[in-house]
Amino acid sequence: MKPLVLNRRDVLRLGGVTALGGALGGSLVACSSAGPQLQYMFWGSTAEQEAVESMLASFEGTLDGELTVEPLYTPDDYDTKLNALVASNRMPDVAYISNGMAYRLAEQGKLLDLSPYFEDHPGIGGRLPEAYNFWSETQTFGTPAALEIMCLFTNKAAFSEAGVELPPVTAADAWSWDDFVDAAYRLTVDQSGRRPDEDGFDTTQVARFGTLANMWSAAWYGLLLSNGVDVVDASGTTTQLNSPEAVAVLQNLVDLMHEHRVAPSPTQLGNNAPSTPAQLASNRLAMAIDGQWALLDISKSDFDYGIGVLPSYGTPMTASMGGAIGISAETEHLEEALALYVHQSDPTVVGLFGEGLWMPVEEKYYTDEELIATWTDNEVHPQEYRTAVVDYTMSSSKRYFAETMRNYEAIDKIISPALERVQTGEEEVQAVMDEIAAELNDGVLQGFYPNPLV
Amino acid sequence: MSAATQSRPARGLRVSRGVMFLVLALGALAMLAPFAWLIRSALMTDAQIFINPPQWFPNPVAWENFPDALTAQPFARYFLNTMIIEAVVVTGTVLTCSLTAFSFARLRWRGRNLVFGVLLTGVMLPYAVTLIPTFVGWAALGALDTFIPLTVPAWFAGAGGGVFNIFLFRQFFLTIPYEMDEAAYIDGANPWQVFISIVMPLSKPVIVVVVIFTFIGVWNDFLGPLLYLSSSENFTLALGLATFQSAYTAQWGLLMAASLVVILPIVLLFFVLQRYFVEGVTLTGIKG
Amino acid sequence: MSGVSAEAAPNGAGRRGRRGNTGRAEARWGVLFAMPAILGFVIFTIGPMIASFILSLTDWTVGGTPAFIGIDNYVALTQDKLFWKSLGVTTYYTLAAVPLALLVGFVVALLVNAGWRLQSLWRTVYYLPTLVPAVASAVLWIWIFNPDSGLFNSVLRAVGLPTSNWIYSESTAVPSLIIMSTWGFGNAMVIFLAGLQGVPRQLYEAVALDGGGAWSKFRHVTLPFMTPVIFYNLVTGVIGTFQVFNQAYIMTSGGPNNATLFYIYYLYTKAFTDSEMGYASALAWVLFVIVLVITALLFRNARSWVYYETGDTR
Repeated sequence: MKPLVLNRRDVLRLGGVTALGGALGGSLVACSSAGPQLQYMFWGSTAEQEAVESMLASFEGTLDGELTVEPLYTPDDYDTKLNALVASNRMPDVAYISNGMAYRLAEQGKLLDLSPYFEDHPGIGGRLPEAYNFWSETQTFGTPAALEIMCLFTNKAAFSEAGVELPPVTAADAWSWDDFVDAAYRLTVDQSGRRPDEDGFDTTQVARFGTLANMWSAAWYGLLLSNGVDVVDASGTTTQLNSPEAVAVLQNLVDLMHEHRVAPSPTQLGNNAPSTPAQLASNRLAMAIDGQWALLDISKSDFDYGIGVLPSYGTPMTASMGGAIGISAETEHLEEALALYVHQSDPTVVGLFGEGLWMPVEEKYYTDEELIATWTDNEVHPQEYRTAVVDYTMSSSKRYFAETMRNYEAIDKIISPALERVQTGEEEVQAVMDEIAAELNDGVLQGFYPNPLV
Repeated sequence: MSAATQSRPARGLRVSRGVMFLVLALGALAMLAPFAWLIRSALMTDAQIFINPPQWFPNPVAWENFPDALTAQPFARYFLNTMIIEAVVVTGTVLTCSLTAFSFARLRWRGRNLVFGVLLTGVMLPYAVTLIPTFVGWAALGALDTFIPLTVPAWFAGAGGGVFNIFLFRQFFLTIPYEMDEAAYIDGANPWQVFISIVMPLSKPVIVVVVIFTFIGVWNDFLGPLLYLSSSENFTLALGLATFQSAYTAQWGLLMAASLVVILPIVLLFFVLQRYFVEGVTLTGIKG
Repeated sequence: MSGVSAEAAPNGAGRRGRRGNTGRAEARWGVLFAMPAILGFVIFTIGPMIASFILSLTDWTVGGTPAFIGIDNYVALTQDKLFWKSLGVTTYYTLAAVPLALLVGFVVALLVNAGWRLQSLWRTVYYLPTLVPAVASAVLWIWIFNPDSGLFNSVLRAVGLPTSNWIYSESTAVPSLIIMSTWGFGNAMVIFLAGLQGVPRQLYEAVALDGGGAWSKFRHVTLPFMTPVIFYNLVTGVIGTFQVFNQAYIMTSGGPNNATLFYIYYLYTKAFTDSEMGYASALAWVLFVIVLVITALLFRNARSWVYYETGDTR
């Protein structure tokens, strides 16, 4: 009989625990149904979370009445949650949205058209023309909260050690591709001190690589444009990725790894490799093309860093980009949502601009000296930032095609595997590009979304 | 090579037992590798973690990862939330899944096997496509941002993934000789009494398995809490961990440090509970 | 469904024929006890299943309005080369990973159950890899697979064998992930471990008295008594492995060149990156049918080799 008694007592005990759990759960139901809320959904690192939450708190301070701001921090599986919220008609008032989904939601009428508010809200209407996401000739869901461009980061110590001049910091003086390769040669060194062009250079024992062959399309988009071609031709339905100009750019990148051996191959690097900032900081890497946002991590590492402009094939060019943010078309707090939309991109309120993660979207922060200083005049932004990033953005940037092309998700499913094939160095770039061109031209390419402001 | 035989190894067996021990020890070394890797990574800066070829010993030791990681989020609160969910889910799962399995394994009723088969189909459809309908349902009930969607299904034999537990209990219950039930029925017991006083006491090993799996499942569940909880004061440990590796950035040192702290309780839980695997339920002995 | 129910749980009670009218009472108790699961299925599972099936007959993109398009999604599937690719990759992976995990889990369970001193410690150590978070061990595996400086190639080079590009080459990516998957034997091991406790010691003694050695104890006692548990691990292994997702998500993002595009990974991107929920639902139902058929066959086949104590006493 003993086991029976024991088990009964256990059952009772468990029941008690359950009741407790239920009670606690119930109390949580109660406290979550507070007054009216303005919901703001976002992703990001813990640092970004902190910055955004304090931005929201400062915004809440400007509101009167009982409206509160509810941060919905969603670190991962963001699309999954947002899809679920949209499907249940609970789209947050303001939300980060991945680009493809943003256009889709906009076309379905779920995102607010901001063009009617351009005049009354200079903070919305006065942004960099390139930054706007239009889903039709007249309708836009606005811009990213912050802008980014691709730039060339350097570890200055590596350059002085190798006796190589730092890369140019103005678009007009940009290196040619050959200058870039030449510098990379002199910056690469194996563990016995040999250069890639010296006898006995050991590719498996490289102490420092000159650069990284960043095959991410955002990194080579600027180079492609610089060489005179875009991903598609003027019609928007025929790709130029298999044009001689595009193939040359991609071939040059592949050659960095396999021909010149000044950049680690994908197998040397491995997936989930250390971030570029970490590699630069540890002097494993002398220079790399990466997004401006890397400045935040770089500035926190203890090394002497610099910024330059990308090498050029003729016309200096780089890609600009930013994650979309939209206002729900069904928001019940329109004026507050619009105000928050401006507030979130104000460098004087949000610390992430001064800390190097973000660049402003309002044009005046690139043209007015005093305003430029508000976010660049600090320890984080090196002196050359003014020309290498601020002016470079104004003079030489074009929006990353992934953020402006129709049907991009389908396009990416074709381009990304092709780039993986190309970067092994085992397949002809031209052949692979011809192969995917046939696929892309077969109805996958549907042109760019219009941007009447550009 | 049978394992359960060695109470008094014969001379010939002693050699093979030595070999077995060698295998056991070498295997253990390999098993410890990922854990050792986790520990060393938890004590490194992001740059150190990825140095190639890798270093096994951090230098300098980044002790600050631990305070940095554990103060980055209100982990005490997350721990409390997780434990509340654990308490409700683990008890609900064990009680209702075992009871259901008892019915499937030891009671006879028409359509029983068909019902079991239908239940099993619940885990064959990828959750990715049932996720939104389920979410819409809970939203309609006003249960978002509460623990209800994360806990209540557990009291209905786990609903969905819980079917695996029913199946597991069933398989174990089927290995217990039926004579024991029969004797109890003859003495006038009802099925509930047979379940609670005969079958369950004989099933400690499988109960422990289900407790361990369910506990770990809740502990590591990321998607459920992510979907249903929105206020950060309701977050669980798994959500807290994910903040170190969000969409575009990873703070590896902090992630590893926090992961290490977060898995310690489940390592301890396993260490404590696995002793029920040695209680050697010698069924025929009980019968005799 | 008929297949699934074919592996009728052997029913000692039924065959032995209970006294008089207790049968009806037993059935009442049976249905009552099964109620939590039946209710759970009706409340939480069947609705979303039906919803997803209906959605599979529409062109629904999340946020839009679904339009009924009949079986168009299923027709489109047959033309989708990524569907075929992912189905092939997943089948290949399942065929290798499931038996391997079963075998390793069983052997390790026997090994750690052999009455060692500090038994608790050994068992916990062998379960540790299962507890280490996937992202943490992924970083380790990425180093192990590194073609230049990784553990595997270093060892191969040292003994003079040819090296491999592991997860970085199309032909070896899936085998590499299969090797990695054996590290996840812990859960199977735990279940086997629990199962081993139910093997009656007396039967070993009986075999010993008949002059049987270790092998015959294993073959005639351990193995038959473990068949219900082996069967469990097989069925759940198949169901679970067809839905493998994490390895592609964390280690390879489906690459290189879609070599590790697991079915659920593909489905997941369709459902949540592209929001094409109608198409994703069709993908899901195709997998459902495949897994259902395999499971049904396993249950049917089980009657010939799974040994249940309740059905074979006296």
